Amino acid sequence: MKSVLYSQRLAPYFFILPFLLTLLVFWLVPVGRSVVMSFQEVLYGQSTFIGLDNYERLWRDQVFWTALANSIRYMVLTLLLLVPIPMVLAAIINSRIGSSRIKGFFKASLFVPALTSVVVAGIVFRLMFSETESGLMNQVVAFFGFGPVRWLREDLTGLFALLLLALWRWAGVNTMYFLAGIQAIPNDYYEAASLDGAGKVQQFLHVTLPGLKPTIVYVTTISVYGGLAMFLESFMLYAGNNSPNNQGLTIVGYLYRKGIQENDLGFASAVGVVLLVLVLAINLTQLTATGTFKKESAR
Amino acid sequence: MTLQRTTPPPVSEPTLDARPRTTRRAAARAQGVLLLVIAMIALVPLAAIFVGTFQDGNEIIRNGISLSVDVSELSLDNYVMLFTDSGLYFQWFANSLVITVVQVAGTLLISSFVAYGFAMYEFRGKNLGFILVLILMTVPFEMLMLPLYVQVNNVGAADQYWAVVVPFLAQAVTIFFFRQYFLGVPKEILEAGRVDGVTEFGIFFKLVVPIAKPAFAAMAILNSMLIWNNFLWPLLVLRSPEKFVLPIGLNTLLTPYGNNYELLIVGSFFSLIPILLLFLAFQRFFIDGMTAGAVKG
Amino acid sequence: MHFRRTLATALATGLAVSALAACGSSSGGDGESDGEVIEGAEAPEGATPLDMWVFAELHADVYDDMAVKWNEENPDRAIDLNVTVYPYQDMHDKLLLAVNSGQGLPDLADIEVNKFSNFVKGDNPPLVDLTEAAQPYVDDIVQARLDLYSRNGKIYGYPTHVGAFTAFYNTELLEDAGIDYTTITTWDDFAEAGTAYHEATGKAFSVSSTGVFFTEPLAIAQLGGQLFDDDGLGDVAVNSPEVVEAMQMFQDMQETGALATIPGGSPDSEEGYGAINNGDYAAIVYPAWYTSRFVDYMPDLAGKVAIAPAPQIEGSDTLTIGGGGTGTAVPVGSEHEELATDFLAYAKLSLDANVAVWEVLGFDPVNMSVWEDESVTHNPDNKFNEYFQTNLFDVLNSVQGGIGHFESFSNENLPTVDNWFRTVTLNEVYENGTPAQDALDQAQDDLQNELGQ
Repeated sequence: MKSVLYSQRLAPYFFILPFLLTLLVFWLVPVGRSVVMSFQEVLYGQSTFIGLDNYERLWRDQVFWTALANSIRYMVLTLLLLVPIPMVLAAIINSRIGSSRIKGFFKASLFVPALTSVVVAGIVFRLMFSETESGLMNQVVAFFGFGPVRWLREDLTGLFALLLLALWRWAGVNTMYFLAGIQAIPNDYYEAASLDGAGKVQQFLHVTLPGLKPTIVYVTTISVYGGLAMFLESFMLYAGNNSPNNQGLTIVGYLYRKGIQENDLGFASAVGVVLLVLVLAINLTQLTATGTFKKESAR
Repeated sequence: MTLQRTTPPPVSEPTLDARPRTTRRAAARAQGVLLLVIAMIALVPLAAIFVGTFQDGNEIIRNGISLSVDVSELSLDNYVMLFTDSGLYFQWFANSLVITVVQVAGTLLISSFVAYGFAMYEFRGKNLGFILVLILMTVPFEMLMLPLYVQVNNVGAADQYWAVVVPFLAQAVTIFFFRQYFLGVPKEILEAGRVDGVTEFGIFFKLVVPIAKPAFAAMAILNSMLIWNNFLWPLLVLRSPEKFVLPIGLNTLLTPYGNNYELLIVGSFFSLIPILLLFLAFQRFFIDGMTAGAVKG
Repeated sequence: MHFRRTLATALATGLAVSALAACGSSSGGDGESDGEVIEGAEAPEGATPLDMWVFAELHADVYDDMAVKWNEENPDRAIDLNVTVYPYQDMHDKLLLAVNSGQGLPDLADIEVNKFSNFVKGDNPPLVDLTEAAQPYVDDIVQARLDLYSRNGKIYGYPTHVGAFTAFYNTELLEDAGIDYTTITTWDDFAEAGTAYHEATGKAFSVSSTGVFFTEPLAIAQLGGQLFDDDGLGDVAVNSPEVVEAMQMFQDMQETGALATIPGGSPDSEEGYGAINNGDYAAIVYPAWYTSRFVDYMPDLAGKVAIAPAPQIEGSDTLTIGGGGTGTAVPVGSEHEELATDFLAYAKLSLDANVAVWEVLGFDPVNMSVWEDESVTHNPDNKFNEYFQTNLFDVLNSVQGGIGHFESFSNENLPTVDNWFRTVTLNEVYENGTPAQDALDQAQDDLQNELGQ
């Protein structure tokens, strides 16, 4: 017993044991199970193997492609919003000019939305984007002289609401990541660039941006994850899993609809497997291409 | 990656900025205005829901929420209802508090444990193991929810709190953050402990944990935030209304058959308070902690 | 399987002991709360506890009343009924998961008609056959409503109401526009009145819903059509001539301004109540249970609304059909299947139960003996009778022989088709102006793909 407690050879295994168990029980087994179920028809606990039927149906399924396109569209657009904007905001906060009290207030106000749950945020946004004239967003467009917009009934305005919700909730968090990243860049770099006659913009482009590469990789990775797996935002905004022309339906929403709402677990598992492969492919490619794996395993 | 980075580097006085003072002051003012405007916009939805707590719930659902208010129609009725006739609301509130505290404590313990193993030891399969952590970070839980749900049912764990908590104790993101932090802890401390005859676990608990307090504080806040607001998994696992956590409970109020909209708005607003207080009280820790765990070169 | 189970259990016990101890204590007692779990009156000693899930708070009141009466009449088989109210979607999702896993089942559950087919898939549905227990009442019950929850000749759920489509007219608005609702009998009359109303007021006469697929099936049934082939029992056939004709009819009305979409997507939404209460729409064709929505959510219209038969198709035997509904079922695996079944038959089909359905909920009861009992139906103190200018039962009795059963409502693929219309087709037709024929051809194509037919 004693030797076990003192063993440097065994200790690491004890430390990572919880992780291995979690990995096995709550990750590998479910993934395996998902794969198996995706080849089955599952009805009230009776499963029959039906080969590739679920995948064939998926391939021909219009709604699945709609959901996939919606998720990808959302992911790409959130990437375009939630990487550059927070990066610039972080650079502004980090700049030497300006009052630190305003910056402190700014950081806090930008971050507070992240503290709200999707449920609360979704309810508030749904009510702000009400199609009546008295809704907040319609008051805003009325201020600019436009008539009431039926926000959540139209594809693009509905997407706008979803993107604004994402921006509102996550801009603060990402700004914080970038701020941390910027502050990790040694000051000498800036001074050297300054000495070479680089202006602020050039410093940002040639010093800040390259220095932020790991942060960009990290934020991109979690945004790909978050974008493709988005479900609750839409679920709350549209007060359920149904939206006009399925404009708010995402892959996970479809998985939820098929698996949990329509009791077609086999088919839903096939949806899940496709999503898994998709996310893994994108992120593994990204992490390999940016050299993250090599670096992390070389530590 | 070093510990020193947990606090922002001192801002050195510009030596080479040759621009006149007035230009800089104007730039500072413009920047201040910009930041304030953005901050105000960010607070609008919260202001809107706050205003909504004083309005008639059904009217809000019918007409949407806005900042323009007829002062004569504001009332404290919703608050009165919250404190006198809110059904299970405070039960949900209490459930959420308990779950959050237990799950945060568990996550910190388990995840720091795992991170420590990865950061401090050399062992076979370490690289593979850590790559698995990275991959886990990129796999959304939503994909696993169906099989995980079936699994939970098979072991008879539906409607049990432990089924809500246990699958997420070894949290990949938290492991990643802790590992970053531990990598900055000098290995000499471990050696000193071993010379003194402390067990490997003793070294972790007695020597390393105290050094890593800021990381624990930051991760406590980050995880509290996530767990307090957790929705989908508890929704699948929990069945009895008296066991619901707050977000699920709030969602149940959003039903056309219940006529609970008053409670929905004021209840949503109230649900923000604990996490907001936590954030405001520990804001400094939190921002430092984010910095400490942030991915760096 | 065994392997996984062992692992999960090991993990659960090993890892979570502390978490368990802490959480377990807070989960506490069942039904001690006074909120969602609605306790009936004190149950007698030795009563058998029955758990019931419902999604509408008012339904719970009726069941609680019925449990008290049951215990008075059957002291030897007393029950202790615990009704839990969940939100609509959650309740069905949870119930589906529960019957799938056989875990955490209630003894009784309300299932909304559009979800019902999800629970009776396959040859061995997880619901108890209720045919036997219905025998004492069956002659008085509107057969079409029993058919709705029957599969292969077996009844799996008891209906709550008929939900006969009726028309609700805001007479104040109509009079101002010079329109007499009593002259409306057919859909053509309806369309004509709608156009006239729109020209006179600039407002929409009635509603085209994009969020519910309700009024259209009425017209399809009146035209003698179905959404599926084999008289509604077979594969999807949503571009059949009758469906196209019905959709075209509504689309035409939309084009003349007689119909318009409504905030919230249907009259049965909070936004919709607001709009109707404001007088934005003058006529609503909806199931009879919509009476309760008027009374509860549109107080401003009290005394201004008349109930009339739903518009008809000239020469059709089908005057109306039931719309919406809730089938109450006993899941297989309940510990007290027999007792639950007997109580359910009493609580849903008996005369007492059906009087309560009218008096508490304002729904049109399925037991037709109620319809003839003038002391109940014409009670002047009844809040529904007070609200409306005309009596619901007069309207119901006038169409009694013409209440059709729309077979398509019991097709196992109805949930998918219904969902498709509510998300895609109705939007195409009413919002995007896609010609009905094109929208339905497209729907047929996509649905065949989705259903693998």
